[in-house]
Amino acid sequence: MQRNRELINFLPVIILMIVGFASVYAARSAQMDASSLTYGLLFVGLFLAAHVLLRLAAPQADPYLLPVTALLAAMGIMMIYRIDPDLAAAQTTWLLVALGLFAAIIIFLRDYRKLDDYIYLCGILGVLLLVITVIAGQEINGARLWLKVGGMSIQPGEFSKVLITIFLAGYLNSKRELLATTSWHFLGIPLPPLKHLGPLLVMWGMSFGILLLMNDLGPSLLLFGIFLAMVYAATNRVAYPAIGMALISIAAVAAYQIKAIVRLRYDIWLNPWVDTNDKGYQIVQSLFAVGDGGLFGTGLGKGYLLFSNGEPIIPALHTDFIFSAIAEELGLAGATAVLILFMILCYRIFKIAVESDDGFSKLLATGLGAGFALQTFFIIGGVLKLIPLTGITLPFVSYGGSSMVANFGALALLLLISNRTNREKAK
Amino acid sequence: MNAPIRRLFLVSVALFVGLIAMLAYRQVIQAQDLADNPQNTRKVFAQMRIDRGLILASDKMELATNEKRDDLYYRVYPSGDLAPHLVGYSDPKYGQVGLEHSQNSYLTGTADEVELVNLFDTLTGKEKQGADLKLTINPTVQEKALNELQKIGKRGAVVVVEVKTGAVTAMVSNPTYDPNLLATNWDLLNADPSAPLFNRATQGLYTPGSSFKIITASAALESGQFTQNSRFTNPKGSVDIGGFTVNNYPGAPLGEHNFAEAFSQSLNTTFAQVGDQLGKDKLIEYMLKWGFYEKPPFDLPSDEVAASGRYDDGELASPGAPMDRAQVASMAFGQEQLQVTPLQMALVADAIANGGRMMKPYSVDSVIDSHGTIIRQADPEVWKTPIDSQTAGELKDMMVKVVNEGTGSKAKTSLVQIAAKTGTAEVTGRGPNAWFVGFAPADNPRYAIAVVVEDSDAGGGIAGPVMRETLLTALGL
Repeated sequence: MQRNRELINFLPVIILMIVGFASVYAARSAQMDASSLTYGLLFVGLFLAAHVLLRLAAPQADPYLLPVTALLAAMGIMMIYRIDPDLAAAQTTWLLVALGLFAAIIIFLRDYRKLDDYIYLCGILGVLLLVITVIAGQEINGARLWLKVGGMSIQPGEFSKVLITIFLAGYLNSKRELLATTSWHFLGIPLPPLKHLGPLLVMWGMSFGILLLMNDLGPSLLLFGIFLAMVYAATNRVAYPAIGMALISIAAVAAYQIKAIVRLRYDIWLNPWVDTNDKGYQIVQSLFAVGDGGLFGTGLGKGYLLFSNGEPIIPALHTDFIFSAIAEELGLAGATAVLILFMILCYRIFKIAVESDDGFSKLLATGLGAGFALQTFFIIGGVLKLIPLTGITLPFVSYGGSSMVANFGALALLLLISNRTNREKAK
Repeated sequence: MNAPIRRLFLVSVALFVGLIAMLAYRQVIQAQDLADNPQNTRKVFAQMRIDRGLILASDKMELATNEKRDDLYYRVYPSGDLAPHLVGYSDPKYGQVGLEHSQNSYLTGTADEVELVNLFDTLTGKEKQGADLKLTINPTVQEKALNELQKIGKRGAVVVVEVKTGAVTAMVSNPTYDPNLLATNWDLLNADPSAPLFNRATQGLYTPGSSFKIITASAALESGQFTQNSRFTNPKGSVDIGGFTVNNYPGAPLGEHNFAEAFSQSLNTTFAQVGDQLGKDKLIEYMLKWGFYEKPPFDLPSDEVAASGRYDDGELASPGAPMDRAQVASMAFGQEQLQVTPLQMALVADAIANGGRMMKPYSVDSVIDSHGTIIRQADPEVWKTPIDSQTAGELKDMMVKVVNEGTGSKAKTSLVQIAAKTGTAEVTGRGPNAWFVGFAPADNPRYAIAVVVEDSDAGGGIAGPVMRETLLTALGL
């Protein structure tokens, strides 16, 4: 039943891929090889394979998650194909790897709640990945986010995000009642005993450390944001996010003083127009691209995204700035559709959290949902100049192996949670 | 746990709604502003597929033309650094400025008048072509003025206007640059403290110094309180007004004199007293009549033309802003935060030469479509009438005296009678900015001119010859 619905939900993905690839090819046939159209077929094939796997291994799983992420990924690969067909081939390969991990999790982690016994391992692994990146990572554009392994650049931060979320789900679930106790009030807000602020301060210190050592705002803010959402869900105490926000403000002021990159990002956000050919170039070009899209966009392949030598006009167009490309070529209509897809994704994830019947599952789903919501907000808000830019990928849409693999891993966990809940309900 | 999770979902919905609102703002409300931003090169890129119209000087010399590579038209400027500040550039990376920017719809054939012709061409299978611009610029005069400034090695500007029509014969800003080499020199040009990309002729704001005495004199003569023969005396060479001591330049003649002599000898003390008697309202009234406090209507993009007037902290002050006596007196001889452009001062000279009628300046003589049909022809019109013809005649006589007997002797030539007013504005740490504002021939004026030379000398020995030589070339002498 659930899987039939899922199959029907794949129809828009198939239609989008056919129309999308065909129009990109039509608009840019001079620069493209007809064989590149096969990436699109392969892409759709991979998702159908994932669907068959779910039929066999997790038949009761949520029927919207996979089609919605497939639509987002389709949007992404269409845009990547338009920017550079070779990158679309690579992205399809990444999708293959990602769905490999996805399948492994669905098959071997069916009883995902066993993870609760290994949360410290997950936590340590998550932190270790960050530490390795800081020590052995290479700097790209000043940020130390990448690890070079056998000729490939991987971004361990993406995996850390999921691993640390698993850790927090188990940890906060076990300490939930303790953390929810209140001993005093301030301005009418019930506050926990001071000694219970320990985990909060540890997470804060760690996030701040990540910022200082990795030289990038994105992972640090994302991690702390996920933590605040989870601790709030676990305790139902507003005090934690409130104190957390205060701590962010302190860290922000301090970071502005000591980190050039933070100062730069903030100053460029306030006024990118003073240096449109250098420091403000990327964001200004992003705004021009977005503005050019108007209501319905220039059409796929018809926007002004590349110089005549094929170089993208906006640096990092296929990764951090992919949303600007979507907004230019598909307009307000297409870009809003992407945002609504993310909203549906979050809705389904939070629904899974609410419906599941144990604390670990609830917190895990909440953490992953909050992670997707915040990551989307940070990067799209950044490219629209709503907030200062933080360099992170747009989940499922941006080009990038690490991001793809880690996010499909998270998706597999969410499908397993919903599969279990629905199975229990059916009993 | 379900209550806080639901609330977290609502928070994430709020974040998404925020994103959609911002997206809609950028793509709908702000879209036009973003598209019009000169830094936004996507329009230029799209237009590179169009055979862009040529830009020609008055003698049809090519100032801007095209080179076709891979189906795209690249702009080439055969005249190099001759007139880049007026002509501008059109570049997919650096955007558009100058006439290339403001006349873009003609040059690309998207203006309504050109569109119709293009429609027929498209139907008959011809390629879309832009319309050509024929400018009023006389390359000989332009080159002379530029050479004069380059010869003395000074920054500055020269604007020459045809008296009867307002047609701009030359518009020079030095240092200049070669628009063909933008890609190579972009960083250098932007870092250069002498600002070669900046159009000093229309945007350069300079203290007018004594050249502003023309405005004060016009107000004085028309007020009925003063005539050319009004008597003044000044035994000390200085005068105290509102607690502020006004001095004449060293070596200025002392003693009794009339108003015309005060003008030709450029006596600050007398003009301070005249200004004090006329009062702030009268002076401001005349500045407004002369077109101060507004941008002269000109073919260049509006942000490449500055308004003249009193500036306060880099912003044009309101004409109604309060001023004390000392400020009024010092404004009367061209100080007190007055800032004027060379274009504005050339128009001041034009009005005097043209019997009190200030012509609207223009540089595009005609627009010619790809079939050779003139689709737009400039029609000279009066912009302002600051003074009547009698005052214009009196000012002309006084300006002749400046050249023949006064501070403008360095512009004097036996070939033609030049009328002019000089100005010197002190600049801390450097030589003063020197002005020459005038026209020739005095009895039947054909060309009005404004010259400003930065880091100059006080006597007009550097700026005077620039004016004289440029006028002689314009007159073919």
